[in-house]
Amino acid sequence: MSVIAPKFRLGYFLKGIFDNAFWILTIVTLAGIPAIQIVLFYLELPVIDGELLTAFLAFTWLFNPTMQVPLIKALIYSDLFRIVAFPGFGFAALIAAGTIFVERKMLAKLQLRVGPFYCGKVEGILQLAGDGLKLISKEIIIPAKADKPLFWAAPVLFVGTAAAFVALIPVAPGGWVVADLDVGLLAVFAVIGFFPIITILSAWSANSKFPFIGGIRALHQMVSFEIPLILSLLGVVILTGTLNLSEIVESQSSFPWIIFMPIGAIVFFTTMLAELERIPFDLPEAESEIVAGWLTEFSGMMYGLVQLGSYLKLYAFAALFVIIFLGGWTGPVFWPPLETEIITEGIPIPNYAGDPILTVNAPGLPLLDQDPNEWVLQQQGELQYTSGQLLVSGVIWFVLKTVGVIFFILLPRGVFPRIRLDMLLHIGWYKLIGLSFVNIFIALGLVYAGVIGPGGIL
Amino acid sequence: MADALFLAISVLTIGSAIAALEMRSLVYGSIALMGTLGGVAGFYVMLDSPFVAMFQLAVYVGSIAVLILFTVMLVKRELIFKKIEDPKRKFAGIGLMLIVILALGAVIMDSGIKTISTDSEPVDFREIGGDFLTYYWPALILMALILAGSVMGALVLARREDTIENEQ
Repeated sequence: MSVIAPKFRLGYFLKGIFDNAFWILTIVTLAGIPAIQIVLFYLELPVIDGELLTAFLAFTWLFNPTMQVPLIKALIYSDLFRIVAFPGFGFAALIAAGTIFVERKMLAKLQLRVGPFYCGKVEGILQLAGDGLKLISKEIIIPAKADKPLFWAAPVLFVGTAAAFVALIPVAPGGWVVADLDVGLLAVFAVIGFFPIITILSAWSANSKFPFIGGIRALHQMVSFEIPLILSLLGVVILTGTLNLSEIVESQSSFPWIIFMPIGAIVFFTTMLAELERIPFDLPEAESEIVAGWLTEFSGMMYGLVQLGSYLKLYAFAALFVIIFLGGWTGPVFWPPLETEIITEGIPIPNYAGDPILTVNAPGLPLLDQDPNEWVLQQQGELQYTSGQLLVSGVIWFVLKTVGVIFFILLPRGVFPRIRLDMLLHIGWYKLIGLSFVNIFIALGLVYAGVIGPGGIL
Repeated sequence: MADALFLAISVLTIGSAIAALEMRSLVYGSIALMGTLGGVAGFYVMLDSPFVAMFQLAVYVGSIAVLILFTVMLVKRELIFKKIEDPKRKFAGIGLMLIVILALGAVIMDSGIKTISTDSEPVDFREIGGDFLTYYWPALILMALILAGSVMGALVLARREDTIENEQ
């Protein structure tokens, strides 16, 4: 066993900390505070309740107990929160991280292995954090004859494109989506089209044989499977008459489209596996033939970024399947409404015997309801569900369905072998495109028979 | 805001177009071409037609640029391209471009479009689709026939006699 830091001395450690603190204080005093003042000089500060929101007032509100709930609420409904945390990057990255761990553990169970076991005592629950720390602390090695700008840019572009894909996915009713586009599905197709470019550029820029072979394979696979992917979703677009993903979900309030378009769902699921480079279509990363395919030369956190991007992409594809075929967030609303006394009088705080001794009045309390008057309307029977109830139930249904689809994406990895490239292209160009045309004709038949669509029976 | 955005997209489009012509490396040239096509998509977004912009991204950046990259990477360029360094050609090209730009500008100035209203409603893509299927259907059928013919021609040209039939 080697020691982590053989020349460790407490004095050096303390000196390092004090040095860092000294330089941080000096730089903040000399450069940071003047910079903040210059920025504040040019900012137009908002006027709230007839008062100019200066920095002092903002700090006062931050530490005022009666203002904290409205402040948190304002934060939740801001654009930054949407992009960074909830329907955007943070939520997707959390699901992606969970997917990585579940994949390793589930695959091990399928193949009668143990899987991650030692890290974190209970079933290796901390393995993911350990892997992340390892990737961050590793050296980034760039091949000597690589094309450096492209090689550096490729992982970042991959994560950026995956995040752009995630940004188009609506998660809950009431506009919980980063970019609610009128042409959302077309934007999804446009974003998917960027992945082969980034793959082939990174493969070329590594200037190595294995990545280039893997990149060419990835290009073949992605470009030829994009056509059945687009065609298989057109049936739903014909039936709903819209390209907006939120409206597609709302059109499935009574039944999901997979009932009428099972062929389209199967074709989309297969092309999804191919676009994600999962087994049985993982030829671009075939580890027994070409080392790691187009990821061979990546090391350290660059590899970590590519993995993060590919799992974000997995989440986004699973969510797209849920939105288009399984009805997205639709499902029974089961979240109970808030009790009336909490809103009108405050939260009662009991003593040790259970008798309430004081009530804490917290304004703006139904935290997830956009408008605090919604619960009053619900009490009067004018509103069926408040937006907070819809949000919580919708997110739970959506996550349950998405996790189910992710499970079915992971499952083939433990079951199927990898197929040959010519068989893959044969499946893509002959069978899947034919099946997706069959799906389109089913949709057209349903529309012209007057069953679904504008003026239909259902 | 709109003016600054327009200026930025113009600089991106024209700058990357010049870069696509002038780059020594063919791969970087095709990346610059992608920048040009993306900039054109940005113009479509600014002109309130996101439908066309998304198709521009999906078709031109997503497919045609990939095709160009693929060709560039797989072909030994010494076999095809000979370097011709002739400054006369360059100046002739610049002159031709100026003539075309001046002619187009004169046509536009002469056509009476002097002002642009920026607050008009974007055209709904459903209307475009409805027009295609009702009033302009002969043009649509004609385009489909031409595309199908060109695909069949490509298949005939690419067909080889010595391929092994279906060895699965």
